[in-house]
Amino acid sequence: MKYRIIHETRFTYSVPVRFARCNLRLRPIIWSGQTLVEHSLATIPSGEFSFARADASLANVTRLVIPDAVTDLRIVSHAVVDVDRPVPEIRTDDPDLATIARLARESRDVSAASPANYLFPSPMIALDPAIADYCAESLAPERGCLEAAIDLARRIQRDFDFNTDVTKTDTPPSEAFAKRGGVCQDFAQIMISGLRSAGLPAAYASGYLRTIPPPGKARLVGADATHAWVLLWCGPTRGWIGVDPTNGIWMAGDHIIMAIGRDYTEIAPIDGIFLGSGARSMTVSVDVEPLLETVPAHN
Amino acid sequence: MASPAPDLPAFSGAAWLDAYSASVGRGDVVREASNRAMWAAMADEIAAANQGDLTQARQRIQRQADEIGTGFRMPGDSDERKWPLSPIPLMIDEREWTAIADAIVQRAGLMELLLADIYGAQRLVGNGLLPAALLNGSPHFLRPMVGLQPPGGHQLHFYAADIGRGPDGGWRVLADHTRTPTGAGYALENRLAVARVLPGLQTRLNIERLAPFFADVRAGIAAASPRADPRIALLTPGRFNQSYAEQAHLARYLGMLLVEGEDLTVHDERLYLRTIEGLKRVDALWRRVDPRLLDPLAFDSRSRIGVAGLVDAMAAGNVVIANAPGAGVLESPAFAAFLPRLSMRLTGEDLRMPNIATWWCGQDGERDQVVARLDNMLISAAFPTEPRGLPDGPVIGGDLDPAARAALLADIERRGVDYVGQELARLSTLPTVGENGLEPRPFLLRVFATRDASGAWRVMPGGFARIGEHLDVRAALMGEGTFSADVCIVSDQPVAPVTLMSAADQVTIRRNPGTLPSRVADNLFWLGRYLERAEAVLGLVRAAIGGSFDVDGGAALASETIDRLGGLIVANGAASKRAKSRDADIIALARAALDDAGETSSVRNLLKQARSIGEGSRERLAADVWRLLDAPFPTRDAIAARATQLHERLSALSGLSAENMGRTAGWRFLDLGRRIERAITVCRLLRALGGDASSADDLAALLELTNSAIGYRQRYPTGLAPIAVRDLIALDAGNPRSLAFQVEAIAGHVAALPRLSDDGMAEAQQQLANALVAALATLSAGRLDDHEVQSIENRLLAISDAIANRFFLRGGEPLRATGLTLA
Repeated sequence: MKYRIIHETRFTYSVPVRFARCNLRLRPIIWSGQTLVEHSLATIPSGEFSFARADASLANVTRLVIPDAVTDLRIVSHAVVDVDRPVPEIRTDDPDLATIARLARESRDVSAASPANYLFPSPMIALDPAIADYCAESLAPERGCLEAAIDLARRIQRDFDFNTDVTKTDTPPSEAFAKRGGVCQDFAQIMISGLRSAGLPAAYASGYLRTIPPPGKARLVGADATHAWVLLWCGPTRGWIGVDPTNGIWMAGDHIIMAIGRDYTEIAPIDGIFLGSGARSMTVSVDVEPLLETVPAHN
Repeated sequence: MASPAPDLPAFSGAAWLDAYSASVGRGDVVREASNRAMWAAMADEIAAANQGDLTQARQRIQRQADEIGTGFRMPGDSDERKWPLSPIPLMIDEREWTAIADAIVQRAGLMELLLADIYGAQRLVGNGLLPAALLNGSPHFLRPMVGLQPPGGHQLHFYAADIGRGPDGGWRVLADHTRTPTGAGYALENRLAVARVLPGLQTRLNIERLAPFFADVRAGIAAASPRADPRIALLTPGRFNQSYAEQAHLARYLGMLLVEGEDLTVHDERLYLRTIEGLKRVDALWRRVDPRLLDPLAFDSRSRIGVAGLVDAMAAGNVVIANAPGAGVLESPAFAAFLPRLSMRLTGEDLRMPNIATWWCGQDGERDQVVARLDNMLISAAFPTEPRGLPDGPVIGGDLDPAARAALLADIERRGVDYVGQELARLSTLPTVGENGLEPRPFLLRVFATRDASGAWRVMPGGFARIGEHLDVRAALMGEGTFSADVCIVSDQPVAPVTLMSAADQVTIRRNPGTLPSRVADNLFWLGRYLERAEAVLGLVRAAIGGSFDVDGGAALASETIDRLGGLIVANGAASKRAKSRDADIIALARAALDDAGETSSVRNLLKQARSIGEGSRERLAADVWRLLDAPFPTRDAIAARATQLHERLSALSGLSAENMGRTAGWRFLDLGRRIERAITVCRLLRALGGDASSADDLAALLELTNSAIGYRQRYPTGLAPIAVRDLIALDAGNPRSLAFQVEAIAGHVAALPRLSDDGMAEAQQQLANALVAALATLSAGRLDDHEVQSIENRLLAISDAIANRFFLRGGEPLRATGLTLA
């Protein structure tokens, strides 16, 4: 299925801000089950794009400098992504959790895609004993890794309330866990914290969900905005398997990955600094539209 | 003065040491010294310098250390904790030291080889010599640095290690410091204190000097820089950092600019300092900021103290960062488990000084060994993040109760990667001065190495010894230590006297002390304004409580005049809360204006502000100025006595800056702040006390508050007339306290400060100041009514704003665009 994604971010300031410098991580990565057909970035007013020299994560980073003073800045990302990702099947020969933990510890791969990179606490995801104990119920060492992952994702979906009012973007997972509620970032962080506490390699995925569900299916939570979910490394054969604890489902054909990191701080779609002060506001709109197969890739 | 011991003639240092040696157990550096003569000489010197009184020795060294400014600030608090200095230096014989220094040079070289691989080809991980998880587990592994070439070719410019001497006399490395090694400044301060208290030590013994090492630090960083004659800055996280005092001291000693992130900016992949003369290139940073906070675009975007684009500038080869971000990955205790093998592999040699034996539980075999020998092992965090089960730091397995032991074993089973087992190291003791004379205490030594101009490693001949509070010699239980000692390396050969002075033929004479960062100019300007405001409020307080004006032969001031003084105190914001209470008589107002911490402009608060601002530019202030700013607010005496005491302190401060400060741009900003504030004060006093309807008491108070009473009597022997008083304190440029005098000084300063363009046109602050000079020159005292005075005050405020706009940082707050709405 091909998707057309339009992701617009608008910043408004009460007084002009000068010399905005940002990292944009808006160009979706190429990853198993998805290819990038086309992508463009535009800003109003226009800015200078460059490659970032230093980069840490599985993300496409573009550096943006807006030299003019602005009170209104729009950043529009337009992408067409072809997703062909079947729903994973649980198999009897899936490695057990103890095995993938050991393989990750012993990894000789030091790249950003190495499971070793995702074993440890990260700036936004501390390891918390209460979360560890809750998640441990699903994570017996001898259990098959896919079975354990979907079981934990479903428990989180069942036990926690989706509520946009109880957490903020910087709420730590321990707090969301204590409140038994939050949004996709909180659920992903709780699950990652629990997996890492058990010595398992778990990554944070950010991206999109298709906005309009297929006929007869319910609309998924998290459409109309960017979404976040969890990847668990399941050994060299099965690789990274995605689960979505917000919806209690596998990552499959409706999920479009934009970037993968240890947590949100590494892969925020936009971060950076402006010079200036004063009130500001930010609005984000996301539209993910399935394209008919007859639409040519380049028009 | 301590009274000399009665048996002084018979007294000798050797006698102390004999008694001490007989009383201590195995593993003491004096008892087992191969060179007893050096300890005896040191003890003789202490005895001679202190009339044999150890308590006096302890007090004197501490006074010196305080004097020199050894301060240790905990994050977030604004009081400095002292790190007491032991009066007895640690003496190390040159032969023993040479072996230590060789081992440190080898280790520093190994560290560089490791970093080159970790951030370069990454063969060690690929070959299985380093598990990837060993890197990923450290929060100081900075993946964005992989593949970037450090300018000059080195990641590591400065290295420190904590080493401990075992009871067998062998030294071991307990910790490596590659990220932001600290403590060299403390070593320097300790040496300065010891040199003052034991002036004869250097003649009794050949003690290696520290100065050449610091010259090498600067030369090494300079040699790596892309430009000749580079501008080098010490980048500090700011004055709330725990080692800010050390940083300020080092910057001053090494002649580096002390800068904060907001002083710097990156354009076109070059690093610049924001100065009053515009942007100036910076070639190298000696970094004291945590690398993760160094560049919000490369690392943590939440950093408020970093410089956006700095890593790009480094990657482009335009700025040296010492040490390179990411070097801290080697500090993980787990690394020690791999170093012996890596040393052999990378250098072909064994480690010349072993590190403490370590087993990383991220490897199954090693974990099983640690579990099997848990009782005799120290269990520590493998990385600089605190793992579950070790909230209070390392534990000895055998000390745990059964429940805690089981919990820790479960934690290690679940996440072995987070733990290491270490051998239980024991430490030697050295003599310290306690309540009962000489007492042995365990110690750790921090040693430092730097690259010199040729890129070779040099080890500081000395270091920073930290001494445990108790006699327990288990290294793990010593913690950070509770006091410190100087470390003297004693040579057989005479030591050449060296300081940081260059040879005469290397010196280019210059009279311009160099660039003034905009932030420092801002600080000095406001330091001047706050000190002057404090003087003004203090003047009102003294007038209000004193009634001391004796124009008419000692009569007290009329109650209307007293009321006006009270009104001025309240209008100044010095007693506005107090004024609302029912018993707000003049004495209560004055008391509040002096020392009520709840009043914004009380003298107490103004001095607190001045201290805080001064601290931000401490390396630019003379030690005497800082001591006066840092002195505690007087609390004991009666209000009048305290006011007098403060008056003297403020006078001393203004005298020091007038007489002792170089006539640099920095001095001009300090003085500008004073002049503007003083001119504003004169305007306010004129409006309150100088109108046509003013009484004789009003005018007397006005003259007294503007320090112009004598000048008036010299000019007008007959009596007080409003118009004459106004002329003297507003328009008479010959009166150094007059408004006109201040405005002329202001115009002079802004004319002397640099201009941004060379088009010959006056900048805004110059135009405003010159216009005000001209306006005052053409005014007459008869036309100087309230309205006119208010307009002058407004013009002064406009000059202040224009100065701020032109010279100070106008960046405002960096705003984060963490653009994501999450569903």
